[in-house]
Amino acid sequence: MNTGKGMGFFFDPQSIAIIGASPTPGKASHVILDNLRRTGYNGSIYPVNPKYDHIDGMKCYASIADIGKQVDVAIFVLPASKVMEILGGPVENVRGAIIISSGFREVEKGELLEEELKRIAEEKCIRIIGPNCLGIYDAIYGVDTFLVPVEQVKRPKKGGLSILTQSGSFAVLIMDEMATEGIGVARIVSYGNKVDVDEADCLDLLAEDEATRYVLLYIESVENGREFVEAASRCAAKKPVVAIKVGRGEAGMHAARSHTGALGGKYEIYRAAFRKAGIIEVDGYEDLKDACRVLEAYNIVDGNKVLIITDGGGIGVSMADACEDLGLDVRRLSQDSKKRLSSKLPAFSATDNPIDLTASAKDDDYFTALEEGFLNGYDLAIVTVLWGAPALSTRVIDGISEVQNRYNKPVLICSPGGEFTRNKYRLFEEKGMPVFSTPEAGVRAAAVLIGKGTVRDNMSKGAGPWI
Amino acid sequence: MDLKVVDSIINNAQNEGRDHLFETEAKTLISQWDIPVPGSVLVKGSEFPDISVDSIEPPFILKVVSRNILHKTEVGGVISDLGDMDDVRNAIIRMKKDIEKNAPQARIEGFLLEEFVPVGVEVIIGGTRDPQFGPVMMFGTGGVMVELMKDVSFRLAPLDKSESMAMMEDLRGYPLLTGYRGSKPVDREQLASVIMKVSDIITKIKEIREIEINPLFAYEDGVMAVDARVILELEER
Repeated sequence: MNTGKGMGFFFDPQSIAIIGASPTPGKASHVILDNLRRTGYNGSIYPVNPKYDHIDGMKCYASIADIGKQVDVAIFVLPASKVMEILGGPVENVRGAIIISSGFREVEKGELLEEELKRIAEEKCIRIIGPNCLGIYDAIYGVDTFLVPVEQVKRPKKGGLSILTQSGSFAVLIMDEMATEGIGVARIVSYGNKVDVDEADCLDLLAEDEATRYVLLYIESVENGREFVEAASRCAAKKPVVAIKVGRGEAGMHAARSHTGALGGKYEIYRAAFRKAGIIEVDGYEDLKDACRVLEAYNIVDGNKVLIITDGGGIGVSMADACEDLGLDVRRLSQDSKKRLSSKLPAFSATDNPIDLTASAKDDDYFTALEEGFLNGYDLAIVTVLWGAPALSTRVIDGISEVQNRYNKPVLICSPGGEFTRNKYRLFEEKGMPVFSTPEAGVRAAAVLIGKGTVRDNMSKGAGPWI
Repeated sequence: MDLKVVDSIINNAQNEGRDHLFETEAKTLISQWDIPVPGSVLVKGSEFPDISVDSIEPPFILKVVSRNILHKTEVGGVISDLGDMDDVRNAIIRMKKDIEKNAPQARIEGFLLEEFVPVGVEVIIGGTRDPQFGPVMMFGTGGVMVELMKDVSFRLAPLDKSESMAMMEDLRGYPLLTGYRGSKPVDREQLASVIMKVSDIITKIKEIREIEINPLFAYEDGVMAVDARVILELEER
């Protein structure tokens, strides 16, 4: 992996040095050392600290120069002034640095220090991630520079999701959540103050990364807006890119001298940028998690037609409402389809869209309805299973999964309810079908697969980014 | 378009130390992109008794031209429904008086005498330059409700026709454009074309920080830029 303006080595480094390594358990630098070894990183690890000869049985070097070999990534967990001092010295053998230390732009008077850091990096041709960041978690090559103990924050398994975030705490939180949800992760980059590597570099890298199937962006602010839009467009053309924007309440972009200024805030411009790039925007953490769950299970679809199947009329209607709000197409079934369904389904069923199987629904009715819908060109289905229907058995889960596999079109399960219902979630998810406990969440997840929301423009061009 | 005209308008304003164009200048600028503006005559301070109005048809609307007045209506700087030259002369006298009272510091450069245009569906088209993302376009429903409802949509410039159309569809007020309660649908093709032209202006003319056509009247067959405002980048920025 060596794209993204020559920063690919951060993810598969041959050698990692920990500057300021410590033998003391619980200290940040020791946590990192532990994590690197535990994640299964199999390149060279060089602890650096003039105070020690050995740490945990590993040779410890007095300085970076003493290592005498190329260091792909030097991890700095030292006070900012110390970082500057070391980078100012002999570091010719360092390709890249992850500066975890804070005390730069984010603090008073830290801005000058950060400018100096930028200058040194350029002069010495060292790529920098950070400062004020957690660095990299790479499940593919087993790189883990996050200074959070594994006992407290679980690491996700290997998978197709890559996450780019300014916020370190978000990186930790989402990593823990993804591990708990069972969602696999390829690469997480917490890039903090972005003195060098920024989201555009990372997006370019992930666009070409075969291990990354979809990308999640956590955005506080973007400085080089146009570069970001261009890199995000390139990435979104190849794989879904989902973003959450925080800090929306920024003051308007100009004094209220004219409407153009008065009517828009900075957030509107971010949204415009997301649209331009073909990024799917999600609203809040809950949606973010749901988006990941649904993208984990399925690929983006290239149509807009949603079939709703339910065994409760009311919930079907609220789902149809939610679909309309998000611009999803809940078109009716054809006359032929309706006729065929009427002859097969229970007498009181509504054979429209939503197809309401009513509380007399039997397992087979679900399969019949789903199959008819997929045969008639619906792009995805949201299937509501309310376990109150007396004739339903867990066989319905296998059957829905079977139809889903046969047509290879997404089926999202919406199943609100109490204890009995919740105990069934796992059975659906074992079959690879994500379950949502509210109709709105199910529909929003469907909208993600349809690329709705901020990417409507691209979709309407018939050239949606990933189509 | 004639970029020489555009350059000379902008240079002239900058030389005079103005950070905005007069309405007349802004309209001349957008008409270089063939955005329709009402027929008009510029009346300079002292020459009003001899206005030649052969080129425009009544009824007229009179607007003050002043570097110090950005919101003309608030100071009595707009008088409409003028049928003939006597009306115009009286209106000029009244307007001078009102402005002396409401905005005593304002320097009056002249008066813009325009053909009155029939009311259409009011929309706003704006372009602005964002420090991070560069040129940005805004489209919104206009009229008195606009500030209350903030029914606007944003896109990065430059944009194409489908993006322009999508901006309209974003609005809650979209039915006003497609025909609502018996009103005829407006010319959305023309609207899209004006959005793209303003996008072209804000993208190409770096001296412009903000441009706005407000209101733009949209009709069944065509559009008309009733008012236009251009704010220039300040030198020290």
